[in-house]
Amino acid sequence: MFEQLKEIILNYVEVDADTITEDSRFIEDLGFNSYDFMSLLGELEQEFDITVDENQVADLHTVGEAVKYMESLKN
Amino acid sequence: MDKNKIKTLRDLYEEAAALYGDAPYVKEKAGKEIVEKSFSQFADDCHRVANYLLTEVGEKLHAAVIGPTSYAYLVSYFGSVSTANPVVPLDAQLPCPDLCELLQRADITVFFYDKRYAPMLDAIKAACPEVKHYICLQENDDVISTEKIVKEYAPAEKLPEITGDTLAAILYTSGTTGKSKGVMLTHGNFIDNAMCCDGESSLGESILTVLPIHHVYCFTCDILLGLRYGTTVCVNDSMMRIALNLKLFQPTFILLVPMIAETILKQIKAAAAAKPEIPPQMIAQAVFGGRLKGIYSGGAYLAPEITKAYRELGIPISQGYGMTECSPRISSSVFTDENYGDVGTVVRGCEIRIEDGEIVVKSPSVMQGYYKDPEATAEALTEDGWLHTGDLGYVRDNRVYITGRKKNLIILSNGENVSPEELENKFVGKDMVAEVLIYAEEGYITAEIVPNPEYFKDKEKTEIAAELTELIKEINKTVTSSKTIRRIRLRDKEFEKTTSKKIRRQQSEQGEII
Repeated sequence: MFEQLKEIILNYVEVDADTITEDSRFIEDLGFNSYDFMSLLGELEQEFDITVDENQVADLHTVGEAVKYMESLKN
Repeated sequence: MDKNKIKTLRDLYEEAAALYGDAPYVKEKAGKEIVEKSFSQFADDCHRVANYLLTEVGEKLHAAVIGPTSYAYLVSYFGSVSTANPVVPLDAQLPCPDLCELLQRADITVFFYDKRYAPMLDAIKAACPEVKHYICLQENDDVISTEKIVKEYAPAEKLPEITGDTLAAILYTSGTTGKSKGVMLTHGNFIDNAMCCDGESSLGESILTVLPIHHVYCFTCDILLGLRYGTTVCVNDSMMRIALNLKLFQPTFILLVPMIAETILKQIKAAAAAKPEIPPQMIAQAVFGGRLKGIYSGGAYLAPEITKAYRELGIPISQGYGMTECSPRISSSVFTDENYGDVGTVVRGCEIRIEDGEIVVKSPSVMQGYYKDPEATAEALTEDGWLHTGDLGYVRDNRVYITGRKKNLIILSNGENVSPEELENKFVGKDMVAEVLIYAEEGYITAEIVPNPEYFKDKEKTEIAAELTELIKEINKTVTSSKTIRRIRLRDKEFEKTTSKKIRRQQSEQGEII
């Protein structure tokens, strides 16, 4: 799932794919703003057929946290 | 719609029902389906909610509504105001203690809540004993709900008299500084503002409503103008799903704040760069769903470069200026206007004068005062009804220009005044800067900057500092010497924002000096 997420992230921000790690922070390291970030979550909902709980969004800071959260929804 | 016939919000939706009948007023998602509600159904359902409130609650009816925009939200809102009592729309992002504080301050007795607030109810009940009636917006087995009320109650046959002077809503402003204040707006205030311009929309058009419904800009320009013109209001169910909902509903208009307009523009440019064989105008239309005729922008400063870029993509932007205290529109531009840095022409019925550089307005849209706050009211409103906006600016050829906020003014030791917004606006469109805040520190004008990580990828801090220093030198060449930026602070995380996404002027941490 990490690799898939990485691919999608590249549609939003111009960073080298190699620099994206599980520890990358969406806003501080990858350059997302709050609107980009919400749009990304919307795309993930469609891509992975999940429903993101808006109350949980504030806890997602890093790519690794997003992967973990999506996996929890998938299971 | 005959403007002279409409004095109250109830008149407005009743007249909309008479004129537009079975045409769709609200479209929203329910699972995988799209549900449509007509103008007639809407008026009926508002009268059902009013009937319930008058029958079951009776006296002492101060209702608050909280939640994202939905059909149930709107009928709860309009049903409440139709009982001749005010409604208090609250910010759906408020934490529980702040919410309780506002419920107490606004003397709330009836609480309409979105089901996502259900886990907070015990805490609210403990803190707010005056709230006697809890109504969930969505149908929910064991509790009373708006959806149930509209199924089980008949429309009220006789409703209390309302006039233009009847208080319709108390709106708590978030503000970038200080404690929130309850702006009191009457039915007449809202109706005046909904009627103060012409030609914004028409029957058969549709608008995707994406801004928070407790904001008066969204309420007046999406919801009330929808009723006035017969426009379909399509509900965006989440900020996460704007892109999806644009494709689903294919709106002809959309109201945005500049931050969203700028971000979508960035996405369009990136998509156009990746696919140079496709005309960028086609990409832009595809992003907005394929039928968009124009964007309305408000809530913050929109740089002329953004207007120009959208126009080149075939999407005109109209921008407005206003404030909650003025229901909200004070000035507005039309799609054919060039944006030369102004915020449009003064709307019909509004007078403006400038006092010590501050914009002061008088119009039938101006609030009655702040709820239970006579001191703040006396500061903002003169006895003869002029409203001090707190904004600095001027009017030329009936066009309004804003230069800053009075309370943010930096007063230098030589007595000269500098507006931080004027300097901050010079950073708009500079790719290396993600965000900037200007303030005075130890007598120096300081620019605290969040660098754009995309621009500076793989760069060392010293390189970032050198490039930003160069940028500041360039900007300093464009201002008088008293306004030059003399200190730069580099910040590695986004600024703290208000719930309406404006940067707070008071931050809890500072970046380091470079």
